[in-house]
Order: sequence, then C-alpha cells, then structure tokens
Amino acid sequence: MLGLGVDRLQADINRLLTSLFHQGVLDEQFLQLQQLQDETSPTFVYDVINIYFDESEKLLRSLRLLLMDREFSDYKKIGLHLNQLVGSSSSIGARRVRNVCVAFRSASELNNRPGCLRGLEVVEHEYNYLKNMMHELFQLEQQRLLAAGVRYPM
Amino acid sequence: MTVEQQDCVALDQFPVGMRVLAVDDDQTCLRILESLLHRCQYHVTTTNQAQKALELLRENKNKFDLVISDVDMPDMDGFKLLELVGLEMDLPVIMLSAHSDPKYVMKGVTHGACDYLLKPVRIEELKNIWQHVVRKNRGSNNGDKKDGSGNEGVANSDQNNGRANRKRKDQYNEDEDEERDDNDDPSSQKKPRVVWTVELHKKFKFRLYLKRISGNQQAIMANSDLHFLQMSNGLDGFHHRPIPVGSGQFHGGAAAAGMRPFPPNNGILGRLNTPSGIGGVRNLSSPPSSGMFLQNPTDLGKFHHVSSLPLNHIDGGNILQGLPIPLEFDQLQTNNNKSIIAGNSMAFPSFPTSQQSSLPNNNNLLVLEGHPQASPSAFPGHQINKRLEHWSNAVSSSSSTLPPPGQNSNSLISHQFDASSSNYSIPFCDSTIPLNPALDHTNPRAFYRATDLDSNANVQPGVYYDSLQMRQSGNYGPTTDAMLSSNPKEGFTVGQQKLQSGFMGGEAGSLDDIVNSTMKQEQSQGDLSEGDLGYGGFSSLRTCI
Repeated sequence: MLGLGVDRLQADINRLLTSLFHQGVLDEQFLQLQQLQDETSPTFVYDVINIYFDESEKLLRSLRLLLMDREFSDYKKIGLHLNQLVGSSSSIGARRVRNVCVAFRSASELNNRPGCLRGLEVVEHEYNYLKNMMHELFQLEQQRLLAAGVRYPM
Repeated sequence: MTVEQQDCVALDQFPVGMRVLAVDDDQTCLRILESLLHRCQYHVTTTNQAQKALELLRENKNKFDLVISDVDMPDMDGFKLLELVGLEMDLPVIMLSAHSDPKYVMKGVTHGACDYLLKPVRIEELKNIWQHVVRKNRGSNNGDKKDGSGNEGVANSDQNNGRANRKRKDQYNEDEDEERDDNDDPSSQKKPRVVWTVELHKKFKFRLYLKRISGNQQAIMANSDLHFLQMSNGLDGFHHRPIPVGSGQFHGGAAAAGMRPFPPNNGILGRLNTPSGIGGVRNLSSPPSSGMFLQNPTDLGKFHHVSSLPLNHIDGGNILQGLPIPLEFDQLQTNNNKSIIAGNSMAFPSFPTSQQSSLPNNNNLLVLEGHPQASPSAFPGHQINKRLEHWSNAVSSSSSTLPPPGQNSNSLISHQFDASSSNYSIPFCDSTIPLNPALDHTNPRAFYRATDLDSNANVQPGVYYDSLQMRQSGNYGPTTDAMLSSNPKEGFTVGQQKLQSGFMGGEAGSLDDIVNSTMKQEQSQGDLSEGDLGYGGFSSLRTCI
C-alpha cells in the first residue's frame, strides 16, 4: 500500500511536470535546477523557488503601484524591475513568465502606458498560474517523501 | 605537444578551487549561480551588493581569482564595478545580464569584461570561465606569443598554456555549445547568449587553437602560413586576388607573417593580411563566426595549396581554377618540401602533368592533399597535409577522372565554406562552402555528403574522398571510406572541413603523425561539439559524421 502510494505520487508528479513542460510553463532550465539538488542541498529547488516567489511578488507589487499612479512616467524603473524578473524567471526555468515579461519590457521601452498595463496583467496572470502549479508540485513531492519515508523506515 | 601536455597537467588542478566572487542583487539568480559554481568545484563567495563586493576585493586583492557580476544593480552600475575592479585589481570580470541587447554586450566588452553571459546561466558556460583567469595571467606574463602578424585578437591571447587547457575548455565548450544549440534555435547557428559572447569565446578558443598549432609547427607554419594565408584569401572569396604564387614569396611571406598561422583568430586574419606578397590577403580574419576559426586551421592547409594555385583563377571561391597551379606548385615544392604545402606540391605536380585542363577540380583536390611529406611539425596542419597527401595520391592516380567529380566537389566545398558564417570560401570550390562545421550545424552533414561525392568520380575523386574521410573521422583522423562515399560532391567539403578540424585539433606532429592522428580523430569526432571555434568547432563536424 505504502509502496503504491509512493509510485502513484511519483507518477502524479511526473505527469504534472510533463504537462507543464508541454505547456511551455517550464523549460529545461528547470531541469538544471533539479539537477543542482543533491544531498548537500536536499531542498534546493524548493528554496530557490520560494526565493523567486518572494522577490517576484515584491517586484510585481511595485510595478502595479507604479503603473496605477496617474502621473506615472518612470518607465526606466519599470524596465529595471522587469529586467530582474526576466533574469530570475529564466534562471528557474519559468519560460512563459519570462516571455511575457520580455513583452512587457518592450512596451515599457516604448513608453507605452496602456501596453504596460496590459503587460502587467498578463504577467500577473502567468505568474499566478506558475505559482499554483509549483505549490501543487511541492505538495505532491512532500507527500511522496512522507510515503517513501514510511516505506523505508530507518 | 609536450609543452602543452605539461601545461595541461599543471593546469589540471587549477580550475578546481578557483575563487569566484559572485555579485547579483537578484537573490534567485545569486543562489542559483552559487550552486552552479559549486558544481564546477569553484570556491564561491556571494554578495548582493556591489559596494560590498568592492570592499571584499579591496580588502585583499589576492583573495579572488575571478569576479562574476550582474549588470543591473541598484546600488552601483555593474559596468562601473567592472571598471573599478579592472583598474584596481586587474581581475577578470564576467558580466551577467538578462539583457541580450548587443549594446550592453559592447558596453561590457569596452569596459573590459572578459565575458558577457546571458541569464539563464548554464553550467556549461561556467565550466569554461576559468580560462579567463589563465588568459589574464598569461597575457600579463608574456605578450610574447605574438602571432607575428597583427593579431587583432584579444589582448590576452597568446597563451599557450591557456591553449593547453584548451582541450578542457573545448570539451566544456563543446558541451556548452551543444547545450546552447539545444536551448536556442537549433536550426540557426549557435547563438547561445550574446553573439558577442559566443564570438569572443570562439575567438579565444580559436586563438588557443592557433597558438597550439602555431606553437607546434612554427617551422611548418612559416611555410604554410603564407600558403594558408593565400588560401584563406582565396577562400574568402578572393577570387581575384593576385596571390603571389611564387613559392619563394610564400615562404618568405610566411616567415614574415609569423609562424603562427592561427594564433588568435585575429592573428590569423592578421596574418593573412600581413603577407603583402599574398596580394592583399583578404581577411579571413574577422571570422565573425567561430566557424571561421575552425576553418582556418584546416583551411590553412588547403590554403597552402590553393594559394600556390593561381588564385586569380578562383571565382566564387574556386581558387584552384586555372592552370597556373602547377607552376605555383613547383615553386612551392622547391621552397618547402618540408612545409605543409610540400604535400601540395607533390600533389600538384601530378596534377599538372595529368591534366591541366581540369584544374579547378584538381586543384581542389590538390589543395586538400596537402603535403605528403609529413614534416615533423606538430602543427595541426599536418593533418591537413596528410589529407592533402591522400588527395595527392588520389590525384596522381587518376588524372583524367577528376574533372567531373572535382566540379562537384568544388562546388560542394565552396558551398560548405559559404555555409559557414565566415567569409571563407574554399578556393577549391567553385562555390564557397563553409567548411566550418561549427558555425553551420548543417555543415557536418555536408561533410558527409561530400564524402559521397566520389561516387561519381573515378578513382581519383574517390580517392579524395577517402582522404576526406580520413580527415573527417574524428577530429583529424581519416574518416572511414564509408563516410566519404556518402557524398562525393561534398567529399571535398567534407574533407576540407576535416582538414580544418584536423587543424584545429592540432594533433600536430610530423606529417606522418597527422595521418595517424587523423585516424584517431575519427574516434574523437564525437567529442567535438560544434560551436566554439576551437575544438568545439571540430566536434560538431565529428558528431555529425
């Protein structure tokens, strides 16, 4: 039973990951991230992704504040924030988020306010989707570890 | 080789434990970077503030070997940090950015960055960064290794030792390149991150290759340089370049040009340009693409031969066209029996005698043949020579049959050359076929096809292919016959490519060794991954093969 649980969970995890790859939500960089996880840093992926979430949410909030401001004009700042988002998203393999950030960045370079607003919405949407998926992934992984732990008692 | 080997050994320990200071305000990237660097077995210190980084560096200049810094940081511009570090500490600095805009890359380079990486950073790229440290050290130690000719290359170039490590780097590069390709648009040339970065890398590698080659074969190079230069000229669409055929010129020119035919990419180019005798060698240089570099080495071999041939005959990269070749050849022969070209001369003589009319084709073949005589130079060109030798044998064996196949091969070859981004056009070929497999992923295939060329040809063409095969296989090793037969037309190109790769490989050794090495290269083919000019380039060929 326990063994089945582990296998089933593993299968679920794989299915979810495959689906995310197919959708383009994640790319091979994410795999590299997984490869960096080892005995010396057993929760590497989880840690990095959480750092990513924290940083990104700060940036997104800041972006929203900037754009909501009627007298907004600091496109450069938006560009900088986005640059960071592009960098971090691509580093963890969040391809879709990265792509929409690049599009958003282009709009900001053209000082296109409506374009920026739209861009921000799209980015927020993609980001939330990614976050939900990652949460689900982590939950499954957590359950799997528990099940595996039980299966192979020390 | 010996020296290099020693260098390799000595440097073997080096990358491990290299002390890196990583600076990035983005915590996510910093964390990932740190982990990647640890994987590469470097010793890592991180900070998310540029000011702090400067403090750390100022506190003890010898505490770090390399700095990796992000460009966009809130407390200090990454470029500013780069400048300060360069000025005060003279440490190699690698820039990191999420911006692939060439402006930034240019800015990084002009501010003194050793490299410019785009996020997401891949481990393959990080595996190679240690070369910057070596390069920097070497550059400051010996500016000697000059390539004689104006090397536009990197200031730090000319590090033989660096070259020695090239193998390692190449491997890394290869991986890196492959990785890049996979990640980026596979159909296009590699553009892993920033073109500049790639190019710079390639340049470095290439230079290393050249260095190696030149280092090994100084003597040979001298002779062959001219040839190569000429050839390269021809390749480069010289078409109407009045190449000073006189072998005397070549030799003299070669010597003047500097023995290192290939030292840095720029160097090579420089070389080409320097030999005035060569008739305004065009720049093969500006090998924008790594492919160029790769080609250079191999092309050089070809060039020799080609150059001897009346370059003006070459149209559209078909240097060999025209009859004057035989004459040149003789001159070459006399001048450098021992030079790589010698092989050519041997080949040529047979040609002229056998058939003057079909020179274009023959020439191509001849060019490939290289000098049968294996000069005891470790010069990678040997390989080429070896190949040339094969060719020459082939040529001499069947003089009349060449023309038909030759044409194909010519065109193929030239096409191949053209394919590569570089401007090289093999003189041999009517069309320029980019030999550079590295640049053109599809090239390797071309090679294969080339090998099939000889299906049409009689013995001669076939022979060529064989030699091509030889070359193709592995980096420099002779490819199997099977390979050659794949595409007779392309046989030339293939062979040529092989030559190049062989060159690059720099197994260098006597000409005899080249042959042997070419054979070995077959096996090592797989190793080379396309991409970097240096070894990387070869690998691509090989893998394709």
